[in-house]
Amino acid sequence: MFPGSFMMGAKDRLLPPSIPYRFFVAAVFFHLLAWVLLLVGNEGVLGFVGGQGMTLAALHLITLGTLAMTAMGAAIQLLPVATRRPLGPVWAIKLMFILYAPGVALFAAGLAHSFAWAQHAGATLCVVGLALFGGLVGANLRRVDDLPGVTRHAWLAVASLIGLAILGLVLVIDFTKGFLPDHTSVAAAHAVLAGYGFMGMLSAGFSFVLIPMFVLGSAVPDAVGKRTAQLSGLGLVLGAGGVLVGIGTLSALGALLGLAATIVYLRGMLASLKTRMKKRLEPFFRMVWVAWALLPVSLVAALLPALGAPLDPWAELWVFLLVFGWLLSFVTAILQRIMPFLASMHSSALGGKPALLSHLSPKLPVDIHLGCHTAALVLISVALVGGWVWPLRLGLIAGLAGAIAFGVYTVEVLRRYRSHMAAAVAAHQQG
Amino acid sequence: MNTQTGALLHQAHMTTIEALQSLDELLGANKKAPAKDDLLGRKLKQLARILKSEVESHFGFEENHLFKVFVEQGETGIVTMLTHEHRSILPLALQVADLAVAAAEAGFTDASWTEFKDAGAELVEREIFHIQKEEMGLLAAIASLVDPEMDEELANIYRAEVG
Repeated sequence: MFPGSFMMGAKDRLLPPSIPYRFFVAAVFFHLLAWVLLLVGNEGVLGFVGGQGMTLAALHLITLGTLAMTAMGAAIQLLPVATRRPLGPVWAIKLMFILYAPGVALFAAGLAHSFAWAQHAGATLCVVGLALFGGLVGANLRRVDDLPGVTRHAWLAVASLIGLAILGLVLVIDFTKGFLPDHTSVAAAHAVLAGYGFMGMLSAGFSFVLIPMFVLGSAVPDAVGKRTAQLSGLGLVLGAGGVLVGIGTLSALGALLGLAATIVYLRGMLASLKTRMKKRLEPFFRMVWVAWALLPVSLVAALLPALGAPLDPWAELWVFLLVFGWLLSFVTAILQRIMPFLASMHSSALGGKPALLSHLSPKLPVDIHLGCHTAALVLISVALVGGWVWPLRLGLIAGLAGAIAFGVYTVEVLRRYRSHMAAAVAAHQQG
Repeated sequence: MNTQTGALLHQAHMTTIEALQSLDELLGANKKAPAKDDLLGRKLKQLARILKSEVESHFGFEENHLFKVFVEQGETGIVTMLTHEHRSILPLALQVADLAVAAAEAGFTDASWTEFKDAGAELVEREIFHIQKEEMGLLAAIASLVDPEMDEELANIYRAEVG
């Protein structure tokens, strides 16, 4: 795998900025909405082990609305550049968004208020949007044979997507029909495939390209990517399979394989960091450290319910560390970096000087987001373990404040980009 | 990066990044104009030499020789993007180099330090972002688009023109 392929031909394959940014803006909006819902429905958070309501709605606003939405926006821009093959027609990407974004909103509303029709319609729209995404990614990957580190993870993500979508639809139907003998086990398998499978594999695969590029580090050897993909694939099968058939030791083995994959992945990332030319790491990297620290912690937490610890609070803590700790921290770190990065790439379209990254990225909002997000992670984790209401409420307030700050950051990046382009248009017209 | 040309460009990038990081540290450590001394004078002269080499010889080699090979193979996008960036970096780098040479001789005044600081900070950011793109795109492109004979020829030109 060579990360250099990312930039090669990048200018030729940049999508119109409105295409990836609609996904990013939607992701930031749903992030904010999720914290609002958690705060409004905070009474249902402690002891949550499933069931309809505000907590499940908020969880899906993060997973579908923020994590998957960002993955879609980033993948449609990064994958064709990284693989040097087109992803698909722009209309298909627009259609994906038109189906998916309202689907997320409808589904979350359905979960929050127990409207079966909204759950069914929203889930259907989400699955169709995700299927379109999986189809576009799969068609792109079939033509690639020179990026094993990235493509193997992306294939695992696509396979996990199929599994999570099927289980997700079954779970939604079960809310009204009640035919599943063990709804919680199916929900846990769905969470494993969604968190570690779909999102985890996309995050790991793109890390091999993005992290060395952002820090000017050495490429991660293909052997590392192949090994993490093998261990992860096996871990996912055992982890999800074990939960589904109710054999805890099998799911624990899956978590251990996931830990082994994580060690190989993090060692590969740290080796690249060690050789970096840029000595000073950029601000977004602080959130990457948080994410990388919490990925193995989430897998250790997964061992507890797998080995028979009570679901309340251990399963809830595991899901929180997986979704909010590892994935949300990583995704917001990448969003923080990629939004001004793409804006800067587009900013010289009219021939003027490209906008400086420092001019496009306000620092205060991301500092606030980092502080609030980290405080929320600590406070809510403590509250879940101890069953304490006040740390939970403080944590939710911190999370909401962080989400607002991140929203301000996003709006400001776009405002500064537009202002740069308006000045460029004026200069261009003056000749 | 398994081409001679790529290795030569990478080495030049390493040198430039080191100089830029040293410039960044100098700018960060001095809110007001630093006093003139021998060490500062040597640092500024070295900075000016590296910057001029980067934007005159290195950019010149890429635009006059390397990019032509890419254009012949239809890879115009990366050439347009990098050439465009050269246009915004070159005057800035020359401005910083000239200010550095003048300061090495006579020291900074408050006005020349402010000018040096503003231009230097912008240069650090633009040049590092540019090198990031070259390291991540150009070097890989050389590896996949330039055959061994052409690589040998380009490397010889680089050694003759850039050093």
